[in-house]
Amino acid sequence: METWRLPLSSSIRGKLISAGYTSLSSISSVSSTDLARDVKITESEAFEILKMANQVTGSSSCNGRSSSLVNGARNAWDMLHEEEALPRITTSCSDLDKILGGGISCRDVTEIGGVPGIGKTQIGIQLSVNVQIPREFGGLGGKAIYIDTEGSFMVERALQIAEACVEDMEEYTGYMHKHFKASQVQMKPRDILENIFYFRVCSYTEQIALVNHLDKFISENKDVKVVIVDSITFHFRQDFDDLAHRTRVLSEMALKFMKLAKKFSLAVVLLNQVTTKYTEGSFQLALALGDSWSHSCTNRVILYWNGDERYAYIDKSPSLPSASASYTVTGRGLRNSSSSSKRVKMM
Amino acid sequence: MKPRSLLSQSPTSLKLTTGCETLDECLRGGFPCDSLTEIVAESGCGKTQLCLQLSLCAQLPISNGGLDGSALYLHSEFPFPFRRLHQLSRSFHLSNPSIYADHNDNPCDHVFIQNVHSVDHLFDVMSKIESFVTNSKTRLPLKLIVLDSVAALFRSEFENTPSDLRKRASCFFKISGKLKQLANKFGLAVVITNQVTDFVESSDGLSGLRIGNLRCLYSSGRRVVPALGLAWANCVNSRVFISRSDDIVCQERRDDDESGSSLVSGRARRRLDIVFSPHLPPSSCEFMITRDGICGVR
Repeated sequence: METWRLPLSSSIRGKLISAGYTSLSSISSVSSTDLARDVKITESEAFEILKMANQVTGSSSCNGRSSSLVNGARNAWDMLHEEEALPRITTSCSDLDKILGGGISCRDVTEIGGVPGIGKTQIGIQLSVNVQIPREFGGLGGKAIYIDTEGSFMVERALQIAEACVEDMEEYTGYMHKHFKASQVQMKPRDILENIFYFRVCSYTEQIALVNHLDKFISENKDVKVVIVDSITFHFRQDFDDLAHRTRVLSEMALKFMKLAKKFSLAVVLLNQVTTKYTEGSFQLALALGDSWSHSCTNRVILYWNGDERYAYIDKSPSLPSASASYTVTGRGLRNSSSSSKRVKMM
Repeated sequence: MKPRSLLSQSPTSLKLTTGCETLDECLRGGFPCDSLTEIVAESGCGKTQLCLQLSLCAQLPISNGGLDGSALYLHSEFPFPFRRLHQLSRSFHLSNPSIYADHNDNPCDHVFIQNVHSVDHLFDVMSKIESFVTNSKTRLPLKLIVLDSVAALFRSEFENTPSDLRKRASCFFKISGKLKQLANKFGLAVVITNQVTDFVESSDGLSGLRIGNLRCLYSSGRRVVPALGLAWANCVNSRVFISRSDDIVCQERRDDDESGSSLVSGRARRRLDIVFSPHLPPSSCEFMITRDGICGVR
């Protein structure tokens, strides 16, 4: 880091630089008396400069070495440790969790798309319940924001999934504490519903306004750990006369979601629809909102039918290999398909 | 902007009964409010019959599975079955006299019929619905909108070129967006009927694209696909498929022959399948259509 970044008066700064002390590492190796003599300042001023320099280097790297050249940069080793420590939200389907590297990752924007009826809303509801699993059961103990643009969220279905989740937790507690008095699971299905912040938006302007408001909302509700939008597409497929305008609006929204994810360390899950795209002389299936939108999300999962089974395929991810896994939608929520004796297929 | 509390409402969303126990069981109570449900069927399977019956059932009190409200019936196909509506209304009045006794009206007074002949006309009508709901002085508030059928509106206006198909798709989302907004604001149930077209194998394989719980849809022995394609399928919350099979016939006894002997007539059996829905498991049931309406078959 350069010395001119230190909050000093300009005359002292000028003297430091003209004496040749341009980087912090040059200051840290010198004592305050030598510094005072070289730069022609008083010893107390030199002492202040050294104290300030130490403070700045201390805060910019976790291991105390001033190894960053640009303010705010971190080295990859620290980032790897941080990422490995990040919790993931389980989907309740272990095959799906496996190809996702343990579940939906926080600090990322994940897009999940598929044909109607494949289970997008079901995954959305399952995640908004599973994010609330307490830490002692391996979950995040957080709350969920569910933004419903289509009106697909049914309270009775969320209650059904919440009840199944509580039952599973009670079964697990009973199993683990066989020899002790089984501790009661504190969560009740009603509590789970209470911790889902449900917003219904009926137009694209409402959607944009809500996304802009999320920063303030989440600052006031710090335990929100997942934001689900079901679906991101619906209001944007009406006549936007100027497609360039639509692309601009969408990329701004995507940027806001990414910032939210990074700032509050939460997961953003955007559910998308499928459309037919005319490429290379024929119609093919593709996720809606166009090519430029496809760059906006960190991870992309595509849901599709293969025979009579539902499958999920990792289409885009910076760290996960392409793989597909099958899942089913049951009365209790998302689960492994009964034919999960088949191994997860790696592409 | 405040989130809506999920606990403030009842644990199950309000549902409109179909008037038939078997269908209600399959639908876990009936057609939900604040939601668009699509009925896909071949002509002659009973879509309109079910819609007429729903328009009357909407007037039932909430304790009986109704919505305590009136119905707006938008029809795009001609002619509108007025005689059948009167027939159903008479037997409905006889079985539910208490709703009308104090006010001396009859079920037909609470079914508002509006014909729509094109997509633009539909947009025009939809823009007037909000003021109709807020300013109407009718005894029962509007609680059900039926659109029968959406496919007929798009039959002739659009070509098969990519640009026209895009325009058509954008119309779907506009219609769906507006109806969902109305449904959300006033707590309406919206039921839309759609037709089927024959399945024709296409080179890109997209015509046979599986949407929902049924791999293939069959009616009257032919393989069919819902009209309006993938774009429209994205616009509805739930889809049910009604099919008929002429070779399965129910016997219905009728005791109104003058000579005293009872007549037995045959009626084709209809089947209702849940294609996709956010709150229903895949299931199906069978029913037939009688003089008094829809009646389930075990």
